[in-house]
Amino acid sequence: MPDKTYKRHDRSDIFIHWFNAACWLLLLLTGVGLIQNPAVDPFGSGYPAWLRSVVGGGGNLLAIHEGIGLAWIAGFVLYLLVNFRGARFFLAEVFSVSPARDMGWMLKKMVLMTLGPKALKAAGVDPDLPDQGYYNMGQKAFAQASVVGGVVIAVTGVIMYLSDRTFGAEATGMVGWAVAVHFISVGLVFAGLLVHVYMAAVSPDERPGFKSMFTGVVPGGYARHHHRLWWEKVSTEPEQGSEE
Amino acid sequence: MAQQLAMVIDAAKCIDCKGCVAACKVANNVPEGQFRNWIKHAEYRAVPGISDNGVRFQPGACMHCENPTCVAACPTGATYKDFDTGEVVIDASLCIGCGNCIPACPYHARYRNEVTRKADKCNYCPERRAAGLQPACVDTCPTKARVFGDINDPTSAAGALFLKNKERLTRVTAKTNTLPNMYYLGDPGPGDWGGEAVVPASMVAMQESAPFIKGIVALSGLGVLAMLGRQLFAGSGSDHKEDTDA
Repeated sequence: MPDKTYKRHDRSDIFIHWFNAACWLLLLLTGVGLIQNPAVDPFGSGYPAWLRSVVGGGGNLLAIHEGIGLAWIAGFVLYLLVNFRGARFFLAEVFSVSPARDMGWMLKKMVLMTLGPKALKAAGVDPDLPDQGYYNMGQKAFAQASVVGGVVIAVTGVIMYLSDRTFGAEATGMVGWAVAVHFISVGLVFAGLLVHVYMAAVSPDERPGFKSMFTGVVPGGYARHHHRLWWEKVSTEPEQGSEE
Repeated sequence: MAQQLAMVIDAAKCIDCKGCVAACKVANNVPEGQFRNWIKHAEYRAVPGISDNGVRFQPGACMHCENPTCVAACPTGATYKDFDTGEVVIDASLCIGCGNCIPACPYHARYRNEVTRKADKCNYCPERRAAGLQPACVDTCPTKARVFGDINDPTSAAGALFLKNKERLTRVTAKTNTLPNMYYLGDPGPGDWGGEAVVPASMVAMQESAPFIKGIVALSGLGVLAMLGRQLFAGSGSDHKEDTDA
């Protein structure tokens, strides 16, 4: 049957997603290189030492990290100016959780993806997933972590940036905590990012969702199967769909 | 053997003129009210009629320790031990002035420079050394109480003094023994003023949480590998009803 497509993302949404992805990658690579203390550094001191020699010293690496961080924040400010409604819609969708439906989805999905449906059947659980809305609970969980973590990372980053520009000695307690919280938040968001990248780019189930991060639209079959509650809403609004 | 730059100080020669303190401030643009070095005094009470030779002066500064607790407290390696020269160095371009290293020095040798807003301390005047001069405090000392150089080099003034008096040199004793590379000849007076290295709670939290963060990332990575393994070996189409639905 000719499949209808449904619009999911504006061009500004697509831009901010990939802009964010590029910034995160660069910030992660440069940021991990800034941690050089045997009690903390994630991959040992070899990586920071190597990266510092590549960019011509730790000072340069810090300047690069700060520059990308500020550009990242500026990108989000720009996005909010261009598509505030889109951001509000995203936040409203991401933070609306229906405990019974979504927790069931999350637990079942984790078993399905790792052990398969037989494991659920063996435990006497129906392997069918509860219907999901615009985002499924996995997407919502990672988006929530990204939004909260992103704000914390940005705020602590700005505090560190201002430490040797504006703040006096009395602010060092706050700056010290900013360093620690920045590190912990990035670690937690990165753990979620691994799953996000797998689900989006590697898992074949989500291929249409991945494509929509370039085209902005998803096929109706995908929408009906993966986001039935949203599909039911938009498929009754004829102006939302388009014949392909 | 690698170098170990150090000061060997003949405490008996110090007359508390404060020349070293002033020369250091001038040479290093140390802001008013802040200092990179000091002269400590013995507690001395004059008792009439009793001759007392108890006045002791103890010149000091960053001791470029063997086991620098300030280095362990720095998250970025902006402060580090240069193993070629034995110096404890601050890379000002990398330091953001988080302040972690300041209470981590049991000798209070570090401060947050209120102009640069970064950690600061004695660095043995690298600009002067590059010009073939001694550090400002050493150069200016009228009695030559401060002797500076590589204590592993027997031909240097500091090395010769160090080797000759090795058995009777003393160090400042702190609650946290960091093996300071500042040695005193003669009775240097106050010996136990060194405090305890305090690593700020935020740095402790970062160190303590690091294994958990790595664990969570590893767990997530394992989950991804399990999903990938299932995708590759079991396929993912069997439980997927999209095709029949669409």
